[in-house]
Amino acid sequence: MKYLLTEQASTAGKSVVFDDMILTKDLPTTAGSKMLEGYMSLFDAEVVTRLNAAGYTTVGKANVGEMCVDVLGESSAFGASTDENGKLVGASAALVAKGDATVAIGLDAGGTPRRAAALGGCVCVKPTYGTVSRFGTVSIACSGETVTVTAKTVADAREALAAIAGHDEKDGTSLAEEKCALVAQAPVKASRVAIAKSITESADAEMRAKVASVRAALEKNGITVEEIDDTLLQKAGTAWGILMSAELCNNVSRYDGVKYGYRTKNYKTIDELYTNSRTEAFGKLLKTVILYGSETLSTENYMKVYDKALRMRRVIAERFAEIFESFDAVLMPVASRTVFCPKCVAKYTLAYDEQLYTAPASITGLPAVALDGVQLVGKAFEENKLYYLAEIVEKEAK
Amino acid sequence: MDREVLRRLEKLNQLALTEEEKNDFLAFYAAKESELASLDAVDTENVERMVHVMPIYTVVREDVVIKKFEREDLQKGAPETTDGYWQVPRLVE
Repeated sequence: MKYLLTEQASTAGKSVVFDDMILTKDLPTTAGSKMLEGYMSLFDAEVVTRLNAAGYTTVGKANVGEMCVDVLGESSAFGASTDENGKLVGASAALVAKGDATVAIGLDAGGTPRRAAALGGCVCVKPTYGTVSRFGTVSIACSGETVTVTAKTVADAREALAAIAGHDEKDGTSLAEEKCALVAQAPVKASRVAIAKSITESADAEMRAKVASVRAALEKNGITVEEIDDTLLQKAGTAWGILMSAELCNNVSRYDGVKYGYRTKNYKTIDELYTNSRTEAFGKLLKTVILYGSETLSTENYMKVYDKALRMRRVIAERFAEIFESFDAVLMPVASRTVFCPKCVAKYTLAYDEQLYTAPASITGLPAVALDGVQLVGKAFEENKLYYLAEIVEKEAK
Repeated sequence: MDREVLRRLEKLNQLALTEEEKNDFLAFYAAKESELASLDAVDTENVERMVHVMPIYTVVREDVVIKKFEREDLQKGAPETTDGYWQVPRLVE
């Protein structure tokens, strides 16, 4: 049960735990990797600065899977986080659920924060891409990764999001202030929700029951819910798997055992230094992601695979736009099952399969609110409608 | 993918897989190849690539130093330094 990698003395009042993907100058940042064990940043991430300024006390850094590309932290070099029953849990969501922190801040590229919150009794808000600064995050997949807020309630998550959203000139992908401000607006009535039919049907019975239960709660409160054809949305997992891996491959090329981080003791030449440092420090899943990403960018595959994925991104975004002409949100499960145990993730590349559920929002940069086993994906900058729907789910679950 | 391509990939990415890792990666890649074929069912010939999900264009700012770090601080996390330089094995004999 390793939840906190490092901690600070807690105080009364609002508090925050940061996933170990967020740089903090007073606490080590490892990204769950032996490569960065003991690494100290010279500066705080922008989200740390903003939350501390808003009165949130940092309680520590939470364990994450290596570079946060796994299912639920199982690939952490420091051991997976599990509960008393041996079930995998997202460490920061578990801390929030226990009341050890008011909110948790994560980085969502492969859907881990959403998965962790929705399966761990919390709420996770993944805001529209570009509305929260990524300055000072350990970058994985720059074109789609988003800082997330996890809390016990929708209201708590929204309050923390209001503190961190906003333009930051240090982040080249940061949007204008007026756009950023939209993500923390008060809930606004929504009336129509679409269910991603095939994606839902591909999940297990318990997960399908979660979707059915949320559907019933929404309908009870006057929301119209209809199933839609989600054939194109189903392609997001494969397409985002390509883009995420390619971007990660480039992002982790900086870890070479020279400037900072782990260095092997077993080298004579510079090539041996690079190769042995990376080979000894990186885990099996990360090596797989690097090699897969690299291959998608090869001369033979660039047009056939990488370029195809970029075009698929537009196809998926346009399909969402079409759906949002008639609906306020798309409801789908957040994972294939409600429980992940170490045995479930014996297939070490399961994280790629789980992209089926989380990639539609990742590849398009659309906002999502995850809770109670499901997620609601909305139109860009219309988080307020997602809050309205999520609060209904929250109320009915009590 | 054959073992020669994998060997090239390993070299390119400065990694050296164990025999077990090689076999597992080849199996993973074979599964991915059939999955990739499913994307071909969608005709994207006339679809424009979507690199940015938001309308973000080249961002520039004044070329001035905002925050300056001292060499000593920058090298605090270095595995090995000598006289203020990062230490690596001799490159040229």
